[in-house]
Amino acid sequence: MNFTPIRLAYNALSAQKTRTILTILGMSIGIAVVITIMAAGKGLDYMVMGQLEIFSPNTITVEVKVPATKKTSNDNAMGIATGITITTLKDKDLDTVLKHPNVSAAYGFVMGQAVVKYQNETKTSLLFGEGYNLQEVEKFAIDSGRLFTQDEEDSLTQVAVLGSKMSELLFGQENAVGKTVYIKGKPFRVVGVAAKRGAVLGMDMDKMIVLPAKTMQRRILGIDYYQEIIAKVIDRTQIKQTVADLEQSLRENHDITDPNKDDFAVNTMEEAAKMLSSVVNGLTLLLVALVCVSLLVGGVGIMNIMYVSVTERTYEIGLRKALGAKSKDILMQFLFEAIILTVAGGIFGIISGALLALVIYFIATSYNYTWLYSVPLSSIFLAIGFSAAIGLIFGIYPAKKAASLNPMEALRRE
Amino acid sequence: MALIEVVDLDKEYVNEEVVTPVLHGLNFKIEKGEFVAIMGPSGSGKSTLMHILGFLDKLSKGKFVFDGKDVSTLTDDELAEMRSKSVGFVFQAFNLLPRTTVLENVILPLIYTKMSEKERMSKSKAALSSVGLDHRLQFVPSQLSGGEKQRVAIARALVNEPAVIFADEPTGNLDSKSGLQVMQILQELNEEGHTIILVTHEKYTAEHAKRILRIRDGELVGDEIVNNRQIANGAKELIK
Repeated sequence: MNFTPIRLAYNALSAQKTRTILTILGMSIGIAVVITIMAAGKGLDYMVMGQLEIFSPNTITVEVKVPATKKTSNDNAMGIATGITITTLKDKDLDTVLKHPNVSAAYGFVMGQAVVKYQNETKTSLLFGEGYNLQEVEKFAIDSGRLFTQDEEDSLTQVAVLGSKMSELLFGQENAVGKTVYIKGKPFRVVGVAAKRGAVLGMDMDKMIVLPAKTMQRRILGIDYYQEIIAKVIDRTQIKQTVADLEQSLRENHDITDPNKDDFAVNTMEEAAKMLSSVVNGLTLLLVALVCVSLLVGGVGIMNIMYVSVTERTYEIGLRKALGAKSKDILMQFLFEAIILTVAGGIFGIISGALLALVIYFIATSYNYTWLYSVPLSSIFLAIGFSAAIGLIFGIYPAKKAASLNPMEALRRE
Repeated sequence: MALIEVVDLDKEYVNEEVVTPVLHGLNFKIEKGEFVAIMGPSGSGKSTLMHILGFLDKLSKGKFVFDGKDVSTLTDDELAEMRSKSVGFVFQAFNLLPRTTVLENVILPLIYTKMSEKERMSKSKAALSSVGLDHRLQFVPSQLSGGEKQRVAIARALVNEPAVIFADEPTGNLDSKSGLQVMQILQELNEEGHTIILVTHEKYTAEHAKRILRIRDGELVGDEIVNNRQIANGAKELIK
C-alpha cells in the first residue's frame, strides 16, 4: 500500500500547527456539546423516571380542597397557602376509605415543620406524619432499626424515624437508633433510620423525620384532622369506580350534596404521573432542539474552518500541481487531512463530552438527585457522523475546485 | 531530432466570450543541450509561451512536439505526468512551501513519482549539495536569504532529472551578487548537459544564454546566437 498521501497530509497539517489545532478544537467542541447534552438528557430522564416510580399506579389520594375551586386550580393552591385550613378530613373518613372493598391499605398523612434537638445540635426539620402501614402503600426502606408499630401509633407513643441525612446531621457517624431527640421540645425515641431516597420534586427526602401520624396530630400539631389520606387499591382496573364510590361516601360523611362544594378531592396517582410525564416530554423536546441547534452551530463552524483553510491554500495546490501532482493526488491529500482532523477532533470531542457529562453528574448528585452517568452510543455516532460528513464535504469540495484550476492560475492566488 | 518543436503555435484566452490573443504563429526548434533565453518586454507573451512549453498551460492552435511526441492535445493528468517527469521550474518568486524544511521542499516533486523513500532522500540531498546547500537541509524558507531560496528552487527543479529546466525571471527578486550565483549555477548545469530555457526581459540576463528568442506582441521577432556571451564566474566561490 502507498502511504504517501497520509504522509503528505501529516506534513501539511504539522506545517500549519495553529490552524490544525484550531480546526481540531472547533470540531471537538461541536462533538462535545452534542455528547454532553445527550448524556445530560439521559441523566435527567433517569431522574424523572425514578420519581415517577414512587407514584404507584395503584394509589389513590384524598386531599383537602377549598370548596368551590377546581382541585388543581390556582384558587385552591392560593387558598391553602394563605391560611384557609380545611379541618374536615378525619379518622372517620380514613375508616370509610379502609372499608371500601377495593382498598387494601390506607393511612392518614400530615406535614409540618419543627425544631429538632439532640445534645448541642439544633436543626429545623420537615415532619411527615405517616401511618404504621406506610410500607404497605408505598416504597419506604429502613436502613437500620424499624418503622413504628400500630400499637405505637394508636397509643400516641413518641417515636421517630429519621431521614438518612437528618440522622447524619444530628448524630454524625453515631447510630441514632435508641437515642432520644427533642422535637418541639418533646422527647422522641428514634426507632429507625430510613434508607437514602434522594430528592423528590425538589424536596430532599433524606432531611425529614417520619412520625406516627396520630402522634404528630395530637402531640406536635394539636389537631385531629389529616391533610391527605393515601390508599392502595387491589384491582387497578376498578380504580375509576373506586374513586367515584369514595367521593360519594366522603360527601355523605361531610354532609355535602353539591359536588361543587366538596372540601376534598380524590385523585389517582396515575393523573399525577401523567402530568409529570408531560413535563418530561416537554423537556425531551427541548433537549432534541438543543442538540439540533448545537449540531447546526458546530456544523457551520467546521464548515467555515475547512472551507477557509482549503481555500487559502490554493497557492499550495497550484505549486504542487506545477511540480507534477495530479488532481487525484491533491484530492487524496486533502481527504486524508480531513480524515486526520475528524478523527483527532472526534477523540478529543468524545473525551471532553464524557468529562463534561461527568461534571454534570457530580453536580446533580451533590444536589441529591438520583442522576445517571451514561454517554449514549447514539450520541457518539450522531456527533462523529455529522461532523465527519461536514468535515469531508467542506474539506474536499473546495480542494476539488482548486485542484481543477490551471496550476499557474492557482499559483497566482498567493 | 529536436527536443522541442513548435509549429504555428497560437494561444488565446477566452474570458466571458472576449477573446484575447496572446501568441500568434510561433515556429521554432530547440535542441537538446541548448541554453535559450526567451526575451521580450512585459506583456509580450513570453511567460505564456514558457507555461505552454512547460506543460503548465495548453495551446489553442498549432502543434507542439516534445522529444518526438506530439503533446498538443494532452489531458490534464497527462500534462501533470509530463511536468513530473520531463521539466523543472525556477520561478521569480521562488515559490517554496512555507514552514516546510528545505529538504522536504526539494523532495516535493519526487513524491508524485514512483520511487522508494530512500531514493527520494538521496536524490534530494545530492541536488541540494550541487547548489551548495548541504548545511541548510533542516532550515525553513523564512530562515534563508533570497539567493539561498532560489538555490533551493533550483535544487527542486533538478531533483527529478528533467529534460528541460525552465527559469522564469530567476534573478528578478535577487540582489546582483545572488543573481550572479544563480546564473552561474544555470550555466554550469548547461555545461553538464541540461537543456535550459530562461525567460527574462533583461538583455544582460538573456546574454548569459547561448541563444535568444525575441518575443514582441505574441510574435517571434528574432532568433539569434549570443556572440558576446556573459559568463558568470567567480560567484560560485561566494556560495561556499
